Amino acid sequence: MTGAPAALEATGLRKIYRGRGGGRVVAVDGLTFAVRPGEVVGLLGPNGAGKTTAMQLALRLLEPDAGEVRLFGRDPELLEVRRRIGYAPDAPLFPRRLTGLQILALHAELLGFRRAAARDRAERFAEQAGFAEPARRPAGTYSRGQAQRLGLALALIGDPDLLLLDEPTAGLDPAGVAAMRELLVSLRGRGAAVLLNSHLLSEVERVCDRVLFIKEGRLLRTHDVRAGGTRVEVRLANAAQVSARLVEEIPGGVLDGDRLRVPVASEEAVPALVRRMVEAGAEVLEVRLGGAELEQLYLQIVEGRA
Amino acid sequence: MISWPVARAAAREKLRSPGIRVVGACFVAAAALGGRAGAVSETFGGFGIAFLLVLTLALGAGLLSDELDSGHAQLVLLRPITRAAWLGGRLVGAGIALAALTAGAWAAAAVASLGSGHALSLSALAILPLAVLWGFAWLSVLAALGVILPSWTNAGALILGAIAWATLRGTLPGVLGHPEWGAAAAELSKYLGPQDPFAPAEGRGALGPALYDLCWVFFAWLVAVLLFNRRELARRRA
Repeated sequence: MTGAPAALEATGLRKIYRGRGGGRVVAVDGLTFAVRPGEVVGLLGPNGAGKTTAMQLALRLLEPDAGEVRLFGRDPELLEVRRRIGYAPDAPLFPRRLTGLQILALHAELLGFRRAAARDRAERFAEQAGFAEPARRPAGTYSRGQAQRLGLALALIGDPDLLLLDEPTAGLDPAGVAAMRELLVSLRGRGAAVLLNSHLLSEVERVCDRVLFIKEGRLLRTHDVRAGGTRVEVRLANAAQVSARLVEEIPGGVLDGDRLRVPVASEEAVPALVRRMVEAGAEVLEVRLGGAELEQLYLQIVEGRA
Repeated sequence: MISWPVARAAAREKLRSPGIRVVGACFVAAAALGGRAGAVSETFGGFGIAFLLVLTLALGAGLLSDELDSGHAQLVLLRPITRAAWLGGRLVGAGIALAALTAGAWAAAAVASLGSGHALSLSALAILPLAVLWGFAWLSVLAALGVILPSWTNAGALILGAIAWATLRGTLPGVLGHPEWGAAAAELSKYLGPQDPFAPAEGRGALGPALYDLCWVFFAWLVAVLLFNRRELARRRA
């Protein structure tokens, strides 16, 4: 293969946690995966599957017992490599007595911005992350969602080429989740690589190009989300009455109770599809992009349900 | 060796801590009382030195573990900065807070001294940098302990170590039937940790102890860096 190296390439990663009483937990076991520039990859798995450990190994916050990680084809410990990465951990905590702006400015300075430029950048990223007002207060007063927004702003402040997000929507309000989705799309648009760990299957399905299913530290399967196009799920008030006509009018549509699932080529095709359904007499209550397919896959692959 | 953005942030954080502000206020008040008796050169009026020690312990307690336990250190260390520079920045930041509060105490003592009709001697001027150096040397010890000890236990370990050594020093020679070892233990004590650097200010010695303390700062930082480079950065799992 030619061209630019993968933004993140993990090969045969293995990590064992050793307890004081001699107990051992294999957190990650022979994990191999890559994230290419311009790609959003999701990590899915139950609690304790090793997703967070995999991210920490990728960043060398943890030393692997076996395997290797390369970021942009180079050692992750190199300072010039670290300049290109952003990381938002799950449930971040910050110095309680510093304000969000001071913490952002500190990180901007560490990235090489001069003090005045760092302050300007801090203001800009606090505003972008939707917490301009709380950013003037000490971080010790933040709610979980505000701390999460600060964590995101910190991850983004260096315009990273590789972003690792660990449960970034946990604690965010619906507006925050929507902003997060837009952010991921824009990051992909500018060619950044994103590794996303989230339990929100519908969000993962909407923004990720590929999904890695992980359980007990092992990669069970890689799923290409975009390969089959997008799926729309429409909830109807009068499904029983219009079912025959809908199946006839909407090719590929599958009716499941009060919901009709239809594969579409892209998001742009959704308004026309809904119009056709209304013309066919359907009373539309709700339209959702994706959702059910990944959930079914998750249950099938991770939980072993048929 | 020192990240100045980290140092500034650490100093700001320490100076905003209510506990440190209380100790600092006590230090200033004690120094002002001592200064009224014209005792600026006697380490801020004699018992002001006790507050300097408490202030140093308060500044050094959790100096690294606060950041490591919260996970913020991990985010900082993912930036293009070495572990040594981060550690140096935290240490210097605490040192800046120490210097600021000690300067405040010194100024209070000096004003009180001048106000009560006493003149400021050269030794009174020398006491300020020497006191800061002494405190900074102990801060570096606390930083080194903080690499391996969680939370505020670095300060606890230092206090326990000092008490244990003082007890052993006082009792062990007698118990073992060698009272003459007491003098040797007393001599050895001078070199276990930073030395009393106030001798030049009090006109009773050379700069040796101050230079010893400078070396102590460097070696404690070096040991801290060597230990820190060996540990994983991710937050410890419960």
